[in-house]
Amino acid sequence: MKYNLELIKNKRKIVGFSTVLILLSLLGILYSTFNTSYKKPINLGMDFVGGNELRIERVCDEECSNFSPDSVLEKLKEISKNKNVLNNIKLQFQNNNKLISIRTPYLSIEESNNLINNLDNIVGPLNYESKDSRLIGPKLGKRLLTNCVTSLLVSLFAISLYITIRFDKKYALFALLALFHDLVIVFGIFSWLGIILSVEVNSLFAVSLLTIAGYSVNDTVVIFDRIRENLKSKKGGYNENIQLSVNESFRRTTFTSITTLFPLLSIILFGSYSLFWFSLSLSLGIIVGSYSSILLAPSLLLKE
Amino acid sequence: MKRRQGWLFFIIFLLTLSVYLLINYPLQLGLDLQGGSQLTLQIIKEEGKVTRDELEAVNSVIDKRVNNLGVSESNLQTLGGDQLILELPGEQNPLVASRVLGKTALLEFRTQKEGTSTELKTLQLQRVMIKELIEQYSSAEKSQYDDNFSNLIQDDLKEIEQELNYLSTSNDLYGKLIEIKKYVDKEIANLFIKTDLSGKDLINAGRRQEQTNSNWEVLLTFSNSGGEKFAEITKSIAGTNQLLAIILDGESISEASVGNQFANTGITGGSATISGNFSSENARELEVQLKGGSLPLPIEIVETNTIGALLGSKNILKSLYAAISGLIFVGIFMIFNYRILGFVSVLSLVLYGFFNLALYSLIPVTLTLPGISGLILSIGMAVDANILIFERIREELYDGNTLTRSIDSGFQRANSSIVDGHITTLLSCLVLFLLGTNFVKGFAATLGIGVLISLFTSLNCSKTILRFFITYQSLRQKNLYLPRNNFSN
Repeated sequence: MKYNLELIKNKRKIVGFSTVLILLSLLGILYSTFNTSYKKPINLGMDFVGGNELRIERVCDEECSNFSPDSVLEKLKEISKNKNVLNNIKLQFQNNNKLISIRTPYLSIEESNNLINNLDNIVGPLNYESKDSRLIGPKLGKRLLTNCVTSLLVSLFAISLYITIRFDKKYALFALLALFHDLVIVFGIFSWLGIILSVEVNSLFAVSLLTIAGYSVNDTVVIFDRIRENLKSKKGGYNENIQLSVNESFRRTTFTSITTLFPLLSIILFGSYSLFWFSLSLSLGIIVGSYSSILLAPSLLLKE
Repeated sequence: MKRRQGWLFFIIFLLTLSVYLLINYPLQLGLDLQGGSQLTLQIIKEEGKVTRDELEAVNSVIDKRVNNLGVSESNLQTLGGDQLILELPGEQNPLVASRVLGKTALLEFRTQKEGTSTELKTLQLQRVMIKELIEQYSSAEKSQYDDNFSNLIQDDLKEIEQELNYLSTSNDLYGKLIEIKKYVDKEIANLFIKTDLSGKDLINAGRRQEQTNSNWEVLLTFSNSGGEKFAEITKSIAGTNQLLAIILDGESISEASVGNQFANTGITGGSATISGNFSSENARELEVQLKGGSLPLPIEIVETNTIGALLGSKNILKSLYAAISGLIFVGIFMIFNYRILGFVSVLSLVLYGFFNLALYSLIPVTLTLPGISGLILSIGMAVDANILIFERIREELYDGNTLTRSIDSGFQRANSSIVDGHITTLLSCLVLFLLGTNFVKGFAATLGIGVLISLFTSLNCSKTILRFFITYQSLRQKNLYLPRNNFSN
């Protein structure tokens, strides 16, 4: 099975396509920074801004009775002693009214317990064994954010250093270009998801970016290795050898991506909801990463 | 050939060892898998960094308090240089822990400044009124609780505020009441002068129910020197109209006079009681705090995660489904594309799974949800090395080499790119592990361990299994190693 990707012919198309993707991502990032309620490049979740997230299931015989979120909030306001807690509260019913999910600004444990008790009085009985509650103080949120950004910068620096030592300048530059291309696009997609679907990013998103960085460079390294090997050992022109190398490593790169995507797909389908967006961003990163390793990075190496 | 057989036995030995480890040392599950609460405590220091000694000191105080609280199987560890993580497994309510742990619990004994009797009496009266309002507010039935009722309390509150010349800043009524009470307690404390007796002079604390009513009191037992100091202090104010105040975190919790009969020796015996209308829980909380001593630096609870036990077991089940279906997808894909080679990679993946889990129980690594996703993700990466090798083997076979030769040079030639390729992933893991939060560390640890083990399983184990396979004549046909439809070229 020989592959024949016409890299030389399609260089312009590939570079153009990537440019469009990057521009779209930047557009999302800019739009998100200036034109949304949160005024950030990406919709930061409660890991980074602090807050309280609660999910709890109701105990129902067969079907759970229907409540409108507004009426529940109304009643909560009636019976809560501490009304302050109810500012900016978001309440949703999911899973056929079985699951209640609530977001509020930061609460103390005591306030959160009171909220749950009141909720129990209105829509109860609640199944406390199914509770999932997270309270994050705003201070910790800020710290987590700095932490994640530093982690990203440090590891990008480490990877860049590794690449520069391992490859010639030109190779290193293009491998890094491909890496940033992947990260910007995944970031941009999540900016757009934040704008359109109010998807928030948490610390796991930063983890996924870091993993994508490692993975994307790994892919590019394998292809560049092959190019170096072929340029040394095979006759034929420079551009032709690059194209040949890409076609030779095509199977390997796509297969690896597929075998990594399978487990991620399993997590998306069967795993816990808290890993859904994480697995999705990893999957996107792997898809974009394989594209940039196979098509973009080698195309940039081609001579006019 | 002989050497390979040695490897085969070694691998079988490792597998047996892993199974043995897994049976005898079960995996440690994180709270998101077994249910429970996790509190992150942040040490607050205005200037400079928290030193190692300070961290240790805070850690030991918190540890004592947790032990005295009697929560079972709790786990306390430090994180970074200035945070502590407390884990409470099971359905234990984090509320009590948070109330007991969050307070500095600095206990002081102070004597009253001279000529402050009238001021003190006014403040004490105001405190009684505030307490009554709080009482009314908390005991009100829900039906009673309407605007009228809160207006009444609001009016009383305003009156007290005017007398105190202090405006509360809380947004809601209950918060205001609590705030004013604190303010009054602080004002009272300010009418007293520090002595050299403090919580450090205690050797024990206890509680008991008062005989006359249902309230509780807290018993303090002083050390020898503490007892002497206490006698000295009580002697100095006995029979005067100066009171002795017990101050906790800058707020007075009890003021008492010392009778004339103690004027000669002071109160001896080395013990004292604090009776300040404690409920059973309040008395217990104070007892635990005093037993553990005061915190050298204040702390704040910055994060609380609670996961119900049912949700935890659901999470385990879901992760198991995800892991197994991931393995099956990958297995089918590999066998479909690489036939015998694919089967070999599935076998080494199974080995990989066992070795990983065994290592988790050996190190030990606490398994959390992000940790499991790291493990599942590393399945894909483990196969990556196999794919690189198999592609090389295929190329060699296409070039007309013999099976044994192709396999040998396939492994040899893929070696360097595999090791190289994994370095970047390991770099990311290392950074994540060093800089990440607890949550993130789990992911970095399992992914990193996975990548390392995969180097062994995909390079060594698959080679050994493959060598073992081709000792059988029937498995030595080339076409078993190439995709069916492409054998012709």
